[in-house]
Amino acid sequence: MRILLIVFAPVIGGLIVGFERIIRARMQRRIGPPLFQPFYDFLKLADKRKMMVHSSHAFLGLMHFISLWFALAVLLLGGDLILVIFLHLLSTSLLILAGFSTRSVFSHLGANRTAISVLAYEPVLIVIAVSIFMLTGSFTAASVFSYPAPLLFKMPLAFIALLLILPIKMKKSPFDVADAHQEITGGVELEFSGIFYEAVFTAKWLDYIFCYTLVYLFAGSNVTLGIALIGFVFFFTNALDNSTARVNYKQMLRFSLAVSFSLAFVNLIINILL
Amino acid sequence: MKLSAFRKKSPWILHYNAGGCNGCDIEILACLAPKYDIERFGMINTGNPKQSDILLVTGPVTKRSRERLVEIYSQMPEPKVVVCCGVCACSGGVFRDMYNCEGGVDQFIPVDVYVCGCGARPEQIIDGVVEALSILEKKTKAMEETVQLKNQPVNEGTQLNRRNTAAAIIQPQ
Amino acid sequence: MQLSLNSLFIVPVIVSGLLLILPSGIARILITITSLLLAALSLYLFCNIQDTYFFSVAPYLNEVVTAFDILLLLFFGWLALQRKNWLVGLLTIAQLGTVLYLIMVLPVQDTEQFMVDKLSAFMFLLINIISGVIAIYSLRYIEEEDCSPFRRKYFLSILFWFIAVMNLLVSTDNLEYFFLFFELTTLASFLFISFRKDEVAIANAFTALWMNQLGGLAILVAICFITANGYGAITFTNLLAHASAAGILLPLALLCIAALVKGAQMPFSKWLLGAMVAPTPVSALLHSSTMVKIAPFMILRLSPALKDTPVAMVVIALTGFVFVAAGIEALAQDNFKRILAHSTIALLALMIMMSAIGSPLTMVAALTLIMFHGISKSMLFLNAGILERVFHFKLASDMDRLGETGPFTSLVLTIGFMSLLIPPFGVFMGKWLSIETLGAFASSTKLFGACIIVAVACGGAILSLLYFKVLGLLIARSGVRDKIRFEKTGVVYSGTIWFLMGLTIASTLSLPLLLINCFVPVTNEILGTSLAVVITGWNLQIGAITLPLLPLLIAFFLLPGTIVAAMFIRFNNVDRVKEYTCGEKIDYSFSSFYFSTDQVTRYFSAVGVLFFVALIIVAVF
Repeated sequence: MRILLIVFAPVIGGLIVGFERIIRARMQRRIGPPLFQPFYDFLKLADKRKMMVHSSHAFLGLMHFISLWFALAVLLLGGDLILVIFLHLLSTSLLILAGFSTRSVFSHLGANRTAISVLAYEPVLIVIAVSIFMLTGSFTAASVFSYPAPLLFKMPLAFIALLLILPIKMKKSPFDVADAHQEITGGVELEFSGIFYEAVFTAKWLDYIFCYTLVYLFAGSNVTLGIALIGFVFFFTNALDNSTARVNYKQMLRFSLAVSFSLAFVNLIINILL
Repeated sequence: MKLSAFRKKSPWILHYNAGGCNGCDIEILACLAPKYDIERFGMINTGNPKQSDILLVTGPVTKRSRERLVEIYSQMPEPKVVVCCGVCACSGGVFRDMYNCEGGVDQFIPVDVYVCGCGARPEQIIDGVVEALSILEKKTKAMEETVQLKNQPVNEGTQLNRRNTAAAIIQPQ
Repeated sequence: MQLSLNSLFIVPVIVSGLLLILPSGIARILITITSLLLAALSLYLFCNIQDTYFFSVAPYLNEVVTAFDILLLLFFGWLALQRKNWLVGLLTIAQLGTVLYLIMVLPVQDTEQFMVDKLSAFMFLLINIISGVIAIYSLRYIEEEDCSPFRRKYFLSILFWFIAVMNLLVSTDNLEYFFLFFELTTLASFLFISFRKDEVAIANAFTALWMNQLGGLAILVAICFITANGYGAITFTNLLAHASAAGILLPLALLCIAALVKGAQMPFSKWLLGAMVAPTPVSALLHSSTMVKIAPFMILRLSPALKDTPVAMVVIALTGFVFVAAGIEALAQDNFKRILAHSTIALLALMIMMSAIGSPLTMVAALTLIMFHGISKSMLFLNAGILERVFHFKLASDMDRLGETGPFTSLVLTIGFMSLLIPPFGVFMGKWLSIETLGAFASSTKLFGACIIVAVACGGAILSLLYFKVLGLLIARSGVRDKIRFEKTGVVYSGTIWFLMGLTIASTLSLPLLLINCFVPVTNEILGTSLAVVITGWNLQIGAITLPLLPLLIAFFLLPGTIVAAMFIRFNNVDRVKEYTCGEKIDYSFSSFYFSTDQVTRYFSAVGVLFFVALIIVAVF
């Protein structure tokens, strides 16, 4: 089951993205693109003329996708949460480095902003992981998957904290500063084109699976609750995306460190004391 | 199924204003807004030439914007199509033969679809883009020649109409 | 055993003396041979040491040590008078007074003055191998220095003398001896920092002097309290034997202060930052293997007694604060060496914290950090020297397109920074172990532990941001020049760098072996525990923690491998296109981004002082 999930993660992620685009369109009273739209985009991009800025840049983008897939695999196979967080961080770092490797203004801006958004969400994730350790006595995701009671009821504040940083990771409004399309035309992903853009494009789908797996952790071994949580987070992030405007990166950093981080921290203290 | 079949299912648009009055731009944005919902054809307004398939140009080409237009066009990976939106982009419109305008996009880059109107109505634009899609499907990945201002470099003082030069280069294909 | 130990102490001293008189041609050969010999000796010692090994020296040496103490302090006093630096003068008088008082009070010492255990052997390994490499590197570096031939010899001479003092320091049991060696390292750093003899160098040297003297004074006062409380011999072993005695906290706290000052924790970080004015090999020496590593070493020595005391808690809180604060300060820096210095302070804080917590796993984490940090930092600093000498720049923002003008330097710097950041390099493993063990620490200390975890999480994130920034500069290229041709920097430079780079990669790949044969036995000996390392299949089990080796191995090829490969890989048959600039044709100049952190950083020193006051208060009550 998990192996299947890992192998087909990009496909499932693509479907989620397609579904999401429909839902978002319906929220705006539009029809929206077909469900398989992300795959049409994928196949079309494969057919474009190959272009790149330079090889290092293209290669880093490619490896961003592979290392992200690897981080996801470690998470789904029940690996150590801290390791997973770092692996995910570092796969993002490859994208940041790709951004810095070109002499493009927008790429640099995007890479800077991505680095800052990493600063915004990484401490929160680590604190949540430590809270999980306080409850389950182990850092591994496997122990969470087999934990009898859902973590949601034991650490609701951590869930809210996660909910508030997910828009940063999924690049959704109001925290999509990293690839603000209208502002810096996609930031880091700007300089990728054709076949090389595929990697960055599909890495976003993998990121969705990664985020929803993190959400699923809060359900413990309760599958029904897990699916319900994922559904809730799905609608929440899309509603938030549709109803808010983008903040600037300072506001994002301040909000995430002041609100999400303190929520996670309070939750950690409660978990330690109880 | 050939990959080229997917081109018309996911056309990504790059929109460039080569010095117009913004009337057509507003109509283009209206296409993307909920009422006309151009996204249902899978279109996205990317704002990034490197990932776009369709170049939507509005406005007469001013002297300042002409090199940018060619630069952006050349950064789009083939296959690509160009749609001129509004009469200014097609021929220069009311600005034609003015001291600061070159007039007409097709002097510099090969244009596939001309959408007339001042400003072009959203329905026309959608129609034009759909027309462009069928052209896009037939195009090859071969590099397309741009008229890169190389035949007759423009000096600031001389106003030349290079439509004929452009036509001479495009016609042999 | 005794012979090799003695030669570790005596050979560098003799070499140091010889270097002053020998012509430079012979000096080169001598330095190379000595470095190799010292490395071999330390390796031999590390492999052969089984139990703690005590030995004493001839009784007359006690008098010699006392005499040296007084001579050294008189020299400090002379320096103070010469420059009219009253702070140094005052501290010297205080130290002199305490020493004289101790001479009168102190009973005759009949215990063994030296103790060599696995921890000392571990430090020998670090000190001798890394410092040896730095010594060989200095041969070339100092040639290019703008000074008289005698001062070149003098520089190399202090370097070896410094190695000898460090070797002695880590194998001392007696606190009076320890004080002497402690102050000798202070003197060495003073001489090093003031080497260039300009106004800034001398001012910074004096800052380093008075700050380190404060540490020396703390040791002396600690000895006073130990004698006054009647614990008997003034040795580390005796101190640890009285771990639960009444009034032990004050001497412990004072020794901790000495350690924290040497370890450049805030507010005493200024001396380490000021040490930048010295020639670069000095920075490499101070930051990687010697000087600052005294701090975690002392805390590791004391940790069985320190563990779970209020003093340890204050030390942990202070280092937690410094870990974040140094990272924040680093974000505002542009000078390449200053960036490295701030990250040293931050990582030292983490090492000291791990040592102070004192559970077996945290000790393993501390040792891992000490070793890998030493290797990586020496490599980075030596490269910083090459940047200055060969490429003529000091600012990080000048590194733009270094990847094309100096691919080899850029490659080495990249590997160096990655080894401080990316799994599965040692520093990352240390950080990872830290967070995992802090979980267990927090469940026993509740709120306090939670705060520490938060500090480590935030500090880690800030440091990663910092390293990304520099890595981003290193990897930048315009793509105009596609062929990579390594630049030639000379045999000495490239030889030392290749060696350190090889050492980094080899030690990373052999991390499980190092854990089994090095870090865990050392920990077990310090704490008297029997922490076991078991490898089952692809998992490495240390105590309660499981390290999955397979993901780490894959990560090694995936992350650092990718970044290195990105420099070399070339795709053929792909068309090149220019960067998107909205169609404009402007040549942009790129540099780095900085944060203005003045609003917060100005309070850091004050907060640091508060922690030191708290340390004393906690110890007294």
